[in-house]
Amino acid sequence: MTRSLPDDRPDDPATSTGSDAVTDADPATVTGGSAADDRGRIKVGVGELAVATDESTLTTSGLGSCVAVALVDERAGVRGLLHAMLPTGEGRPTAASRPAKYVDTGVDTLIGALDDAGADPRRLEARVAGGAEMLDLTDAVGPRNVERVGEVLDSVGVPIVASDVGDTVGRTVRFDPDGRLVIRAADGFERAI
Amino acid sequence: MRVDVRALGACNRLAERGAKQAAGALSDLTGTDLAVEVTGASVASGEDLAESFAGRESIGVSVGLRGGLDGEAVLAFDAVNADALLSLLPGGQSMERSAVTEVGNIALGGFLDGWANYLGKAIDMSPPRYFEADGAAVLPDGALAGDGVFLFESRLDATTTDLDFSIYMLPDSGPFRDLIVGKTAPAVTAGGEADGGTTSTAVPYESLSTFSSLAKRGSANAADNISMMTGLETSVDVSRLRFVPLADVPAEVGTEPHAGTVFELQGEPSGYLAILFEESSAAAVADAMLPMETDEPLGEMAQNALCELGNVMTSGFIDGWANVLGTTITHSPPEFVHDIGASTISPLVAKLSQRQDYGFVIDTAIQTEGIQARCDVYALPDERELARALDRLSES
Repeated sequence: MTRSLPDDRPDDPATSTGSDAVTDADPATVTGGSAADDRGRIKVGVGELAVATDESTLTTSGLGSCVAVALVDERAGVRGLLHAMLPTGEGRPTAASRPAKYVDTGVDTLIGALDDAGADPRRLEARVAGGAEMLDLTDAVGPRNVERVGEVLDSVGVPIVASDVGDTVGRTVRFDPDGRLVIRAADGFERAI
Repeated sequence: MRVDVRALGACNRLAERGAKQAAGALSDLTGTDLAVEVTGASVASGEDLAESFAGRESIGVSVGLRGGLDGEAVLAFDAVNADALLSLLPGGQSMERSAVTEVGNIALGGFLDGWANYLGKAIDMSPPRYFEADGAAVLPDGALAGDGVFLFESRLDATTTDLDFSIYMLPDSGPFRDLIVGKTAPAVTAGGEADGGTTSTAVPYESLSTFSSLAKRGSANAADNISMMTGLETSVDVSRLRFVPLADVPAEVGTEPHAGTVFELQGEPSGYLAILFEESSAAAVADAMLPMETDEPLGEMAQNALCELGNVMTSGFIDGWANVLGTTITHSPPEFVHDIGASTISPLVAKLSQRQDYGFVIDTAIQTEGIQARCDVYALPDERELARALDRLSES
């Protein structure tokens, strides 16, 4: 058997200028890839984002200093979840290839993806979780992530309707079809915002 | 031979994307969600691989590769999951071999599509061969020979059922060498550097192999130090040097509660080191170190004991590096952590990610006898500083 080449070759390094051509234009990190179907649960990894337009639940686990931003346009029934690691992608070479790694480029990309999926950016509401100060060693990366989420959402006029951020605890979140964000801590305690 | 770690990053990204394609194909076929948990390239000696696969029984499918990529690719899953898999497949139990072969064929085809794309060359797959294998026999031919091989490994995890697959690909070294060395011209590599491109990320392959054995020795030292402090017999179960996307590391630690210590490393290379126990293991080890019973399983006394243990383990781990690399490496005081495993390591990954997307991870599993306890050591060195140190190593 031969694995043949499709006609469009987005990975062709000849058409790309970055040092790591393979990372460019990866649709999987923007849409949740093959997992983004209607079978129930879409896992969002670290530095990834995903959009759901059906009854799927979006989940992301092991938030420490990372921050989860959940956006919903309830009327359109479109939701999206971002799991960002660092506050600012501006000026960083990898921000173009991995926008969801950073709060600012991640939120922009998520809003774009929600828009494409039929949401009206003016109707979006945000719920935010994570950004814990897990370690003294790593100078407040969690709080800086949370601060950046506030700035970026404010600049695009998306209100934060609820948040569960900061502190020194890890969190796992689930973004339900009804638009609620359910947060679970290491001890199993759950709360919905 | 010099390996450009950035080109290796690009290859790893391909393996990752291929694994996603394979997961998609399998999801369609079985109606079960499958997600790619981890993709990494490991640099390991045949001996290490044989050790780390000991006791496992696998079934799966292998295909030979020719054309754009030469070598062998294998899709394997634990024999204990065979029934779960077969119940999901068309034909089910009655079609065991042919059903598994078909699954393997589809998934590996998906895996290789991305590589064919990148290479701009078709990859020929030989007809799939069904196998049942003990231990490291599951790995592609040639993986156990020689001092060190690159083995791409992806783990696919079913989100609703207990069904994990692995895909291993071992490219023949000749053509693969051209791929990881030849694709990235120095000028292009430097263009991507945040610091103006003054540092190289190409390291001699032999040094990687040396570092891999060094990591193994460090793990043995760390294990010995546990024995010394707790009186418990310890052994190193697995020790591997792998090249992985940093963003995958938290998922690998998992969402179970963990306790342990983390350290910042200063010197060349700088970076972080985390020693994580599953909660019950942490309590058991602390208990073995303390002279009296404590009321709280992981209270202050246990925390102090684990910090002290972390200190000696870390010293044992990095002393060997500094000696061989000819550099000085020091570590910060221990910081105790106790939370969701992935959450404890995510700030370390975030800090390193400011400078790099991929990293070398040394992960080591240490097992104690007598009481059931196991800990994982994750060493996360700065990529550029490690490359520099390894480069010097090859010159001396």
